[in-house]
Amino acid sequence: MPYSDIFKDHIAHPRNAGELADADVIAEETNPVCGDRLRISLRIRDGHIEEARFLAYGCPPTLACGSAIAEMIHRVTIDDAARLTKNQIAEAVGGLPSRKQHAASLAIETLQAALARHAGEDRD
Amino acid sequence: MRKVYLDHSATTPIDARVLEAMLPFLAEKFGNASSVHMFGQEARAAVDKARRQVASLIEARANEVVFTSGGTEANNLALRGICEAAITQGRHIIISAIEHPSVRGVVDELEKDGWEVTRLPVYDDGIVRIEDVRAAIRPDTILISVMMANNEIGTIQPIAEIGALVRKERERGHRHLWFHSDAVQAAGRVPIDVQTIGCDLLSLSAHKIYAPKGAGALFIRRGVRLTPQQVGGHQERERRAGTESVANIVAFGAAADLAQKELDERNEQTRYLRDRFEAEVESQINDIVRNGDREQRLSHVSNISFRFIEGEGLLIHLDMQGVAVSTGSACSSGTLEPSPVIRALGRNEELARGAIRFSFGKDNTNEDVDYAVAALSRAVESLRAISPLARELISTGTQSVPSV
Repeated sequence: MPYSDIFKDHIAHPRNAGELADADVIAEETNPVCGDRLRISLRIRDGHIEEARFLAYGCPPTLACGSAIAEMIHRVTIDDAARLTKNQIAEAVGGLPSRKQHAASLAIETLQAALARHAGEDRD
Repeated sequence: MRKVYLDHSATTPIDARVLEAMLPFLAEKFGNASSVHMFGQEARAAVDKARRQVASLIEARANEVVFTSGGTEANNLALRGICEAAITQGRHIIISAIEHPSVRGVVDELEKDGWEVTRLPVYDDGIVRIEDVRAAIRPDTILISVMMANNEIGTIQPIAEIGALVRKERERGHRHLWFHSDAVQAAGRVPIDVQTIGCDLLSLSAHKIYAPKGAGALFIRRGVRLTPQQVGGHQERERRAGTESVANIVAFGAAADLAQKELDERNEQTRYLRDRFEAEVESQINDIVRNGDREQRLSHVSNISFRFIEGEGLLIHLDMQGVAVSTGSACSSGTLEPSPVIRALGRNEELARGAIRFSFGKDNTNEDVDYAVAALSRAVESLRAISPLARELISTGTQSVPSV
């Protein structure tokens, strides 16, 4: 399956790339099999993700899904972000072949890890 | 957008002169080379001429050349054909760790069927050592298959030395030892003389030397017996049944003829462009590792690992800028298959994943090099800017990554 235009655009022009210096929470997940890595940093205010940034290493779907999720969670409520699914991420990059679905899973897992860590820190 | 093709090890464009030679055989000269009538004789004469041209490229006799559908089929025929014919004499095969998948794949299958396989290491220069070949030979070894030049890093293997070793072994009474070399990447790029090399079998492919896809050849030295893998016809002296693809074979012959005549000129051109490309890349991009011996390699190939990033992302970036290159790694279903060739050099997974092959051709220009280097520089910078690996090493101050 050839990559879609929107996919290639995420690769060429990654959205919200980088890392927040004043992040409230940072999470990084690694695919233990292929070594792909995704790091998400969030600044959270009043139940909203005020700023989101991503860094990614690995195959192009991992980079594109990192860019897509960083764009999708920017300025949304934590609750809305928590409801995102891997299918929505895959759709946002123009669809992924089944053998590349792990990239969308890594994006969701990294976001969930960040939100869980933030929730834990809030309780503390 | 400018288009720059730097993937000539994958395939080459068809030379206009080659196309001209083959076109009549796609139109009015449509005969079956096995037919007795004049249409058939015309096709037969063309196939015979092409056989002489291909034989001449490797200093073989025409009747030692068997046409196939390509390099993969030639490798299959060589390995399976010899192993099946020599099954009563031994069950041990020696190959290098960096053979093309069409050799590795056949050998993996033979291994499942009970053959024993020794895979020779290549060390960090990507070259097989003759001492290792010598040490691997056992009384039941029937086949040594070592490629003439590697498809990913271009390193040229000590084929003539292996050939001499095999000859000595035979003189010592090891009569059932055969030597095959996959010369698909080397043909048309280095002079090949099967008499000097002393190989028994040698594989070739048309589309690597500016002919279309669909033809290849296996040199089978006179007297070497192998079991045909395709039966049901008398073509190719009973060694490969099936109607000859006359137009593709004619093109292969014409391309072999041109490759032989223009070999020095093509090498000079690609070596100049490749060396200039590497010098520019080294001066503009930090944290790179060049793969394979710098001297003992094909003139048109450059393989470079770019640290902190992954090759396929780089490939897409370059493709979007009109530059076509290759990577040897593949990631699917969440499992990573980093290039076995780069891994065989002792490189770690990150370097194997970040390896890109640039392969130049006779029609590339200085402007292509300039454009590709600029595109590459932008692509690497962009990918490193989002790489957590690059960030970590900047923050610890241990590497010289450009500011991203």
